[in-house]
Amino acid sequence: MPHGGLWPCRLRQSPHAESMALFIEQLVNGLTVGAVYALVALGYTMVYGVMRLINFAHGDFFMIGSYLGFTLVSSALVGGAIPLWAALILITALSMVGVAILGVVVERAAYRPLRRASRLTAVVSAIGVSIFLQNAVMLIWGPRYRAYPSWAVPDVSWQVGGIYINLMQILILAVSFGLMVSLYVFVQRTTVGAAIRATAIDHDTARLMGIDVDQIIRLIFLIGPALGAAAGVLLGLYYRQIHFTVGWTYGLKAFTAAIMGGIGNIPGAMVGGLLLGILEMLGAGYISSAWKDVFVFLILILLLMFRPTGILGERIAEKV
Amino acid sequence: MRGCRSCLVLIALSLTLVLGFGASVFGAGETGPVRIGLQAPVTGQWAYEGEMARNCVEIIADEINGKGGVLGGRKIEIVVGDDQCSPKQSALVAQRMISDKVVAVIGTYGSSVTEPAATIYEREGLLNIAYGSTAVQLTEHGWKYFFRTCFRDDRQGAFFAEFVNETLKVKKVAILHDNTTFGKGLAEAARASLEEAKKAEIVFYDVVTPGERDFTPILTRMHKADPDVLYFTGYYPEAGLIIRQMRGLGSKAVFVGGNAAINDEFVEIAGKDIAKGALMTQEPMPTDLKYAESKAFLDEYIRRHGVPPSSPWPVYAADALKAIAAAIDETGSTDSAVLADYIRNEMEGLPGVTGPIGFDEIGDRAGAIYLAYEVTEDGKFQPYQP
Repeated sequence: MPHGGLWPCRLRQSPHAESMALFIEQLVNGLTVGAVYALVALGYTMVYGVMRLINFAHGDFFMIGSYLGFTLVSSALVGGAIPLWAALILITALSMVGVAILGVVVERAAYRPLRRASRLTAVVSAIGVSIFLQNAVMLIWGPRYRAYPSWAVPDVSWQVGGIYINLMQILILAVSFGLMVSLYVFVQRTTVGAAIRATAIDHDTARLMGIDVDQIIRLIFLIGPALGAAAGVLLGLYYRQIHFTVGWTYGLKAFTAAIMGGIGNIPGAMVGGLLLGILEMLGAGYISSAWKDVFVFLILILLLMFRPTGILGERIAEKV
Repeated sequence: MRGCRSCLVLIALSLTLVLGFGASVFGAGETGPVRIGLQAPVTGQWAYEGEMARNCVEIIADEINGKGGVLGGRKIEIVVGDDQCSPKQSALVAQRMISDKVVAVIGTYGSSVTEPAATIYEREGLLNIAYGSTAVQLTEHGWKYFFRTCFRDDRQGAFFAEFVNETLKVKKVAILHDNTTFGKGLAEAARASLEEAKKAEIVFYDVVTPGERDFTPILTRMHKADPDVLYFTGYYPEAGLIIRQMRGLGSKAVFVGGNAAINDEFVEIAGKDIAKGALMTQEPMPTDLKYAESKAFLDEYIRRHGVPPSSPWPVYAADALKAIAAAIDETGSTDSAVLADYIRNEMEGLPGVTGPIGFDEIGDRAGAIYLAYEVTEDGKFQPYQP
């Protein structure tokens, strides 16, 4: 950093400090969006790690999560005996459970029959599931935009040294980092996590070691969609506005994040998501909002050209 | 046997021809009613728009006929053609209007539906006045027979500039659009009008991507430019998010939306507390029109149908008929070329339901009659009172 200390500088509010504050504000915005991308990207990367399948329906799990959350928030659950924060935790948890069940059903119906088929067939099936889910949501909840009620999350924001941070940003960062760390610990430190890692390396050998591969895949389809659903509820609470096509845009971004970090690699998906969010916000903040996506996908193309395995690399030895 | 049948067919054919021809000759004669076409979406997705347009036109037709009609005693007869708001159907309706030998056509509603019909009317030399088609390019073709009583999209930009300078009286303006044909056109028109007026200054002008959810980066930059007012010319899903996110960043700028942002979902997405006080520029709703003609017209409409028209557009169809009837009376002719010439060059300040009617040289309605609407405490839109 060419100019010395940050804090005293900002207190004086020199033009330099002001642009620094602006930069940090964009950075915080980027981290918030990036955390959502990262949560969704984890679902892509875990499924790919274990099954070598790009699950194009994953963005729609995320979307359904936000719709379930919407229905629950608007239901009688909130505003009753339990305090708001407890209700929100309960709603997020219930949405996660709902979407996790859906994930398992989808795996059983659309992917397991194709386990031995070519990879392309499975991808086509995934796209079919995605179209099915989107249209089902459109029919159930209607094609118009839905909005989370404004009282669900109070618009609280603080100004810290010229930077605006709001409650929801802090919540999103806390919840997503919490979930990511727990997932990492679960995969790396527990017996079940070891079984997941073993399945990712080789299905047949894992089976010989007494691991129920179908069970592990089912587990992956519980965890991935559940994380996606959590991201969906957070998104709904943050932007308030949801639509049945939101899964496509966010799915694509999260997929990009997974590739950036190295697909099949859990820490890679987290790094990729955060990086993507930050790049996007800085691109929009300093170059042009209209060119934001061009900027992001240009970086993806460059990355694929010069480092096709992503930043942290597709782990050949240990894919999860 | 065979010869006989062709003989019969021939006779039948010539009979039809003679009768058909005769009928049309009498129809266009000196005593029969003056037939005026109304092309509108009476069925389909926009059926309620077409229905209201028909109601409006009928009221004016009855009013004129009640006063003795046009051309010294000839009644006006309305011929309705249903285009279902589909461009394909529109061309068929246009052809039918031509073969029905109507004097002029009112319509139609959607810009993309007007285009094919107006092309046919132009080729056949038939006067047509659109009532809901606001796309700028319609009057850029150099068409001789096409007019419209609704104001074209970029007039709203002129209204916004006037509103900023004369009503809000603020100095610094930010403009955001969403790169759609409509949004960009309106933003550019607003910018041009503001620059021409040389009063308020444009401190920020940029683009957002529709379908996007996070506008904080661009709004942070906008907030830095410290505008007094932000004009967003895109649609309501983005408008609701933008006002919420700019308030979250601490911006106190007045939010003004274009007529694509007027929608209850804007309030729902932004939340009532935040949407309150937001302004929108729009064509006035029929119930907010303050002209003498509008009052009488609305009373009659409510007497017949119980409720006032629920969108701004149908009343422009009423004014299209007023313009046609006035032109017929003034020129004493039903020839489209004469009528079009009169409407273009001489019609000025004809009292209409939607205000004084006059046209410029390319066929657009002169002036810019818009209103600013304000979001009230309970999330409703009402005319803005400074």
